[in-house]
Amino acid sequence: MEQEDQSHLLPYARRSDFKVGRASDLTGKDRRLFRILEIIPGAASWLILIGVILASIYIPFVAAYFIIAFSIYWVLKTIFLSYHVRYNWKRLKHHMELDWRRMIETYEYDHLYHLVVLPFYNEPREIIEGSLRGLLEAKYNNKKLLVVLAAEARAGEEQVKMADELVRKYRSDFESLLLSVHPADTPGEIAGKGSNTHYALHKAHKEIIKEKGIAQEDILVSIFDIDTVVYPDYFNCLVWHFLTATQPFKSAFQPVPLFTNNLWESAAVSRVMAMSSTFWQMIMQERPDRSATFSSHSVSYQALYEIGYGQANVVSEDSRIFWNLLIANDGNFDVVPLSYPIAMDATVASSLWGTIKNIYKQHRRWTYGVENWCYITYHFVKNKSIPLKQRLTISILQGEGYSSLVTNPIVLFILGWAPIFLGTREFHETVLSYELPIMVRNLLIFAMLGLVISSIIALSLTPPRPAHKSRFNYFVMALQWVMVPITMIVFSALPGLDAQTRLMLGKYMGFWVTPKKR
Amino acid sequence: MMSKTRRDILFKALLGIFLIALPFFVFYTTGYRISFEDDGARVVTTGGIYVTTDELDVDVYIDEDQVDRPRLFRSAYYIQNIAAGQHRIVVQGAGVQTWVKELPVDSHIVTEVAAFNMPLESIIRPIPQYFATSSEAVFFARSTSTDIFPGTTSTLPYVVRDNRATTTLQKNSEYDFVVDLFSTSTATTTSLIDRLGEELPMFINSSVTSTDSTSAASTTIFGFVERGNMRLVNRGDELYAVWAGSVSETPHYFCISAAGSSTVAMRYGAHVAEQVTTERLLIADPLLIDGIRYCRNEIRIDRKWQDIEYFNLFPGSSDLVVLQLEDGLYVTEIDDRSWQNTQQVFVGNDFRTVVTDNAIYIEQEDRYFELLTTLPE
Repeated sequence: MEQEDQSHLLPYARRSDFKVGRASDLTGKDRRLFRILEIIPGAASWLILIGVILASIYIPFVAAYFIIAFSIYWVLKTIFLSYHVRYNWKRLKHHMELDWRRMIETYEYDHLYHLVVLPFYNEPREIIEGSLRGLLEAKYNNKKLLVVLAAEARAGEEQVKMADELVRKYRSDFESLLLSVHPADTPGEIAGKGSNTHYALHKAHKEIIKEKGIAQEDILVSIFDIDTVVYPDYFNCLVWHFLTATQPFKSAFQPVPLFTNNLWESAAVSRVMAMSSTFWQMIMQERPDRSATFSSHSVSYQALYEIGYGQANVVSEDSRIFWNLLIANDGNFDVVPLSYPIAMDATVASSLWGTIKNIYKQHRRWTYGVENWCYITYHFVKNKSIPLKQRLTISILQGEGYSSLVTNPIVLFILGWAPIFLGTREFHETVLSYELPIMVRNLLIFAMLGLVISSIIALSLTPPRPAHKSRFNYFVMALQWVMVPITMIVFSALPGLDAQTRLMLGKYMGFWVTPKKR
Repeated sequence: MMSKTRRDILFKALLGIFLIALPFFVFYTTGYRISFEDDGARVVTTGGIYVTTDELDVDVYIDEDQVDRPRLFRSAYYIQNIAAGQHRIVVQGAGVQTWVKELPVDSHIVTEVAAFNMPLESIIRPIPQYFATSSEAVFFARSTSTDIFPGTTSTLPYVVRDNRATTTLQKNSEYDFVVDLFSTSTATTTSLIDRLGEELPMFINSSVTSTDSTSAASTTIFGFVERGNMRLVNRGDELYAVWAGSVSETPHYFCISAAGSSTVAMRYGAHVAEQVTTERLLIADPLLIDGIRYCRNEIRIDRKWQDIEYFNLFPGSSDLVVLQLEDGLYVTEIDDRSWQNTQQVFVGNDFRTVVTDNAIYIEQEDRYFELLTTLPE
């Protein structure tokens, strides 16, 4: 790629280390600082886990009191988060009932264009075509949609040819439908969605925006995973939020991903994980101060242009783009929750074991988002223009989030019993030793009642039952939530620990493309 | 979007609940309770009792009050909210012998105890030399009586034949195994005696380590068995259970947690107090756990004033002892706190016993059978 012109970039985005991906991208003190930051999350998680074990052996009474406190904290956290889910669920339902087209009629919006980037790798044609059809079926003027099918050269000629066929088939339906083929093995990049999108945005800038003479401020970019099928009012809802936002060019717009495209075809474990991810995003919709962009999202083209379209050298590009924007804008960048859904695919493979492996790998990639903590903390040290309180708050909250993701389920469901098995004889003979498992069990059962709410909400978000599926599946879908303690460990804590350990040891991960199957 | 005020209120409310709940839960799990007795509420401290049973279909009583059966681990009862003091524990059930013990409970501490309930009537599984083609056990008659195992219940149907022809019968390989077991049991004991001589200083109580006593001990010991770290030593006329493992792993019933002799006697029985007093006078470096509890070296097994004809550890257990006394076979517990429960499992005086790791075999009048110690389902 030719040398990027930096004149349009925000001052901080012009720094040579602005798009640092890993410690080895830096030199000297900066490199050491970044490397230490890469070590901290994994080291902290291991320290907590090993600390609980050692405390159980040498100071079991202290460990027992800690576990009691932790169990109470867990119950209250469950209540706190369940309340957020329920609150957002009501808002989501309300937003799905609103007539967004009529709502935006009161504003001038004809000048707005939507640049939709659909990066893909080796996904089957029906997945890609489904996303294009979803765009066509949206209640929005298709002639305001600028679509980029972002293919990967490394996927092979057949895939590029297929994409080209789709472009020819649907070109006339949109204002523009561009095929971008990201070259393989570009130095300085990590092969994956981030580098593909980065390339596609550059190409769109030259071949669509400049060519058509569209003002950059009039373009909203939606970067969608290839399995994303927009709900009919997505663009209307997005436009309304853009036009009513306090600072529309300093905001990213986050929908709620519902992994429902293939929900009826997926295994129970896949459904639980898919819906758990949805719930987490619903919680984040109510806590935008702790939120970052995730998966499919939208942002103004102007904002992306000012940071050079994000990074091509990271795995968790969906969130990194927000952190790029926040840091380049000196802390003045928001996430605006849309509380409006987009449909995506739950992770499915041809066998249950394959599904389990894919879910694990997908969550390992997601939890590798811990690399963003290193990035933001590094730049919080460098960018003094961001208020100190904001820097500290974000760094601590994000760090706590990644740490609790890994340690909480393991401490609660496994190490919570450690003092009973590892404690001293003196401890074993106390009432505390006998009461501890009873107390923890009862508190966890109480916390599990929150799953009833999850089950109800999940059923309400489930798409209509296909004719060939029996009603019995509803019963299974209601009961599947009992798997949560296991899924939290196997698909959150362990992949998270795996990802943090890799980062800690400098064994950096690449982008693993989740296979799509319907 | 949820307002910040609403989120703050929710957060602070939950934080308040946490701060209130934490001490409450910590106090509760350490044994503190609120008592509303005696016209007013007051904080009291409690302990617990943990009873394990080898029979599932039994009832546990604490001070005459029946304890609810556990739903999950049906052989383990954890009884909460027990006031400090002496408590009588009874484990009984239909068809089994009753087990009773009186133990002290201390505040914040759980007293552990393992109950056992042998069948009231001896239940045996005959081991015939031959099976009929119909898989029926075959025994040969020696008298007119067809009840060849009097006083017992057999779990295996059998026939008694006058005709001793064996051509149509199938040989039972287990019979040969058991016969071999009885023929080699004496040799095994002898080799163990030799080994005991080598290891004698390791577990013989220091009260018998003087020159004369050592000599006496080595001549009077005629048998010893071990399983894991538990050893049974026959010294003189008495049988002792000796713990040979580390102090930290000493079975709970070897240890007592009281200072004065009178208190020990009140809590665990005069025999325990007497033993502790004697040991403390003789042992320069007593075995202490947690710096406060005293653990004895050995426990004498109650032989009911009879001669011991055979002894071994109960199959699969290092807490129970099988004793063949003059009037029959007994199972007794090593735990001597308050007293040792001893339950007769076979009546008679003209039989031989061999205990393996998983079975008790008896030979009587050249017939062999396994003695079952649990009620058939």
